[in-house]
Amino acid sequence: MIPNCTPLKASCEGTPLLEVRALCKDYLQRRPLTREKFRVRALASVNLSVDYGATLGLVGESGAGKSTLARCLAQIEGPSSGEIQFDGRHVTGLKGKPLADLRRQIQMIFQGATSALNPGFTAEEIISEPLLIQRRSGCAEQRKRALELMEQVELPASSLHKLPREFSGGQRQRLAIARALALRPKLLILDEALSHLDLANQAIMLELLARLQKEQKLTYIYISHDLGMLAEIATDIAVMYHGTVVEHKRTAEILDRPEHPYTQDLLEAMPVCEPACLASRVVER
Amino acid sequence: MKRRYKLWLALALLAAFHVFVLFAGFAAPYSYSAEDRNLPYAPPTALHFVDAHGHFHFRPFVYAIRDNPQAPGSYTEDDTRAYPVHFFVRGSSYKIAGLWRLNVHLFGVHKPGRIFLMGTDGYGRDQLTRFLYGGQISLAAGLIAAVFSVGLGVFIGAISGFYGGWLDEILMRAGELFFALPWLYLLFAVRAALPLRIAQWQVFLLLLAVCGILGWARPARLIRGAVLSAKERNFVIAARTYGASDFYLLRRHVLPQTYSIILTQFALLIPQFILAEVTLTFLGLGVGEPMSSWGSLIASLQHYYVMASYWWMFLPALLLIPLFLAYYVVADELQEHFKSVPL
Amino acid sequence: MKYLARRFAHAALLMLAISVFSFALLQCTPGNYFQTMRLDPRVSAQTVAALQSQFGMHQSFLMRYIRWMLSMTHGNMGYSFSYDVPVAVLLQTRARNTLLLTVSATLLAWALAIPLGIWSAASKGRWNDRLCGFGISTVLAIPDLVLFLILLVFAVRTGLFPAGGMLSPGFGSLDFWGRTKDIAFHLTLPAAGLALTMLPVLVRHIRSAMLDALQSPFIRAARAHGIPRTRLLLRYAFPAASNPLISLFGFSIATMLSGSAILEVIMSWPGLGPLMVQAILSRDVYVVAGIVMLGSCFLVVGNLIADILLLVSDPRIRVDENNEAAL
Repeated sequence: MIPNCTPLKASCEGTPLLEVRALCKDYLQRRPLTREKFRVRALASVNLSVDYGATLGLVGESGAGKSTLARCLAQIEGPSSGEIQFDGRHVTGLKGKPLADLRRQIQMIFQGATSALNPGFTAEEIISEPLLIQRRSGCAEQRKRALELMEQVELPASSLHKLPREFSGGQRQRLAIARALALRPKLLILDEALSHLDLANQAIMLELLARLQKEQKLTYIYISHDLGMLAEIATDIAVMYHGTVVEHKRTAEILDRPEHPYTQDLLEAMPVCEPACLASRVVER
Repeated sequence: MKRRYKLWLALALLAAFHVFVLFAGFAAPYSYSAEDRNLPYAPPTALHFVDAHGHFHFRPFVYAIRDNPQAPGSYTEDDTRAYPVHFFVRGSSYKIAGLWRLNVHLFGVHKPGRIFLMGTDGYGRDQLTRFLYGGQISLAAGLIAAVFSVGLGVFIGAISGFYGGWLDEILMRAGELFFALPWLYLLFAVRAALPLRIAQWQVFLLLLAVCGILGWARPARLIRGAVLSAKERNFVIAARTYGASDFYLLRRHVLPQTYSIILTQFALLIPQFILAEVTLTFLGLGVGEPMSSWGSLIASLQHYYVMASYWWMFLPALLLIPLFLAYYVVADELQEHFKSVPL
Repeated sequence: MKYLARRFAHAALLMLAISVFSFALLQCTPGNYFQTMRLDPRVSAQTVAALQSQFGMHQSFLMRYIRWMLSMTHGNMGYSFSYDVPVAVLLQTRARNTLLLTVSATLLAWALAIPLGIWSAASKGRWNDRLCGFGISTVLAIPDLVLFLILLVFAVRTGLFPAGGMLSPGFGSLDFWGRTKDIAFHLTLPAAGLALTMLPVLVRHIRSAMLDALQSPFIRAARAHGIPRTRLLLRYAFPAASNPLISLFGFSIATMLSGSAILEVIMSWPGLGPLMVQAILSRDVYVVAGIVMLGSCFLVVGNLIADILLLVSDPRIRVDENNEAAL
């Protein structure tokens, strides 16, 4: 169910930025006490595509495989089978230099910034770590870039020397975003990145993310439980259930005419003040 | 950390102990092999501040020792001959670190006075001197064996935890094997495998190596646990997404999380290995003369008459208690401290 | 059942590895009994050669190992050169004495530690808990060797207890009750010493396990139901806390075996410890190997017992197995 959509801006050839075909991922686990091994199928033939400049909302219950999919896309883990195409090239099972290049272009922001930042590093060390690892620039350049990034995420440059525990939750998430932007990626995967913030902070962060998307021509994959929030920010929504994508449509279509029974359940469970006005909340971008 | 006065007290005690033992030549009034065959099993010399006429002296002094005619084999003090205790006296020469030759001692009395703060043994050797010199062997044994053990444990634990898979399985099974063996029996067995007549220092090093090899299992398991949990932390995963190499991840992110475990394991293992060395030497299976350690000092207690009549021979054993207590306090306090540090 | 089978297989493999290990270790002995014998001018070269071939000293490592293992399964653990008896015979009485000591010490230690731990946890923070904790830390700090020496000096100076040994002279002329009392009399101090070495660790673990259990929600619910305090402690909290203690039990056997060796030497208790020391000094390799094997055997069996106890007491293991069977 790949939507026939018009992307944010005219994409180069009409090919999507990211295309996933028949992706499967199995995990081998042990029972804790008896130490027996057994296999868990986390992803069962996932098909997905994301256009340039789009914001894909990935929604599903706990255990549906959203985080697993994110990890496979961000090259944290390799899939058991299937194919991923990024920017027109096949990127499954890459190693070495091509993998390093790919890593620069896909970045991930985790749930709970506290665990995503090393408590012993200063803000500057955190933000410039990607540059350091990729050995892209010298010390002075790194400093300059760090200041740039702090500015982009609206954090004061004076707090570069502070440790994560000296920042608030929202500020830590900004640090995580700044770090993710350090290598100028094309695709940003946000794994429930705003779930831990209160609503006011969430709104502010959403605005920041929207601005960054426009400025830096980013594509977002947004993983969340909150269909309400996704309804406001996502161009299209993919619903995951038991390790596979059961429905993937433009936001308005999904909210209006959900086809899969699970999607219908999700929509029914969503608390809204006036159900009728839900479809009208979606702004056509 | 500043409020942990127990920790600092224990560390100060340990530092003092180690400094005195390290500079045994300076701290001890006599040389290591000095014997006085006329004074076997002399009790500790009493320090006096008030003389026979009732005068008070700031500088403590000791009386000469002479045989007690009423009880052959024991001694009394001769009030007529007093020897004041001096500090920084010249005495027998010794070497610091095998390089500099000095002959200044921390304290002493002029000849023919004798100051035996811990009494003498069957050969008339000052026990305090032997305690300090013996400590060099025993403390060094504990420290070196602990370094081997923790070092090996960190290496194996880090690799096991970080890479997982079949390597992890094999290493942890091997660790279980080492856990299953009663360590003392194993130490005995290895000692049995060594020829009885090799040089003492070789025995020493080999035993240390064995202690290290036997002792890696527990630190390795703890480090592996810490590495496993650190590996899954999001900042490690994030660094991986920028293309960090395994070595970088271990060095910068994962291993720093294990420093707390390493420190506490050191504080726990050092006394255990000191005890292992002392026990082996006590049983006659460790290092022997001339490299006698605390174990040799305590070994004389195996003779019934020594235990029954000469109480001061027990002092070297008793002095182990505050040393071990200090180490355990350090370990406890470190554990408390690391538990309370927010992560 | 599969869990148990797996633990058995694990134990068997462990014993196999230990046997190879201890045998290999002994084969590294450069100077052995026969060399010293050869140096003795009274023994002729042919006798030495004959003895060597009798013990199969000229065969390869694998052959000797197999020979040794086969004889072990028949109950023959080799031959002691210095005592001139089969190792198995020698070890029998010694092992029995060591077991007597370690088992009584374990029982004593646990019998003291459980009430102390529970009492300490129940009155956390109060003076008796603090006193207990202080006492525990003090005893913990005393190295085993020194503790045993202190006990021995106590026996020597006060004469309340025998200063070592297992039997008094004239043991043979006593009747059954007399003998039992005599052994018990001699057993008191060594068992107390060994129990003291284990006590601090046990009390600490029991206390912390009890504290954990007492903080769990189901205890709070039980208290809200009005269940009286003693019953709460003993019938609710303690069973919940017993899980980690069972693993501790398996582990404490290891430390005890090592501790008992030193104790036996100091207090002249005729167990495996002094035999081991003697065997090392006289290069009696089969005895050393036999003792290492036996000691490890005790350990592995002890851990297996702990595993069985765990299976019996922890329903999660059985549930896991049933789940698997259903899958």
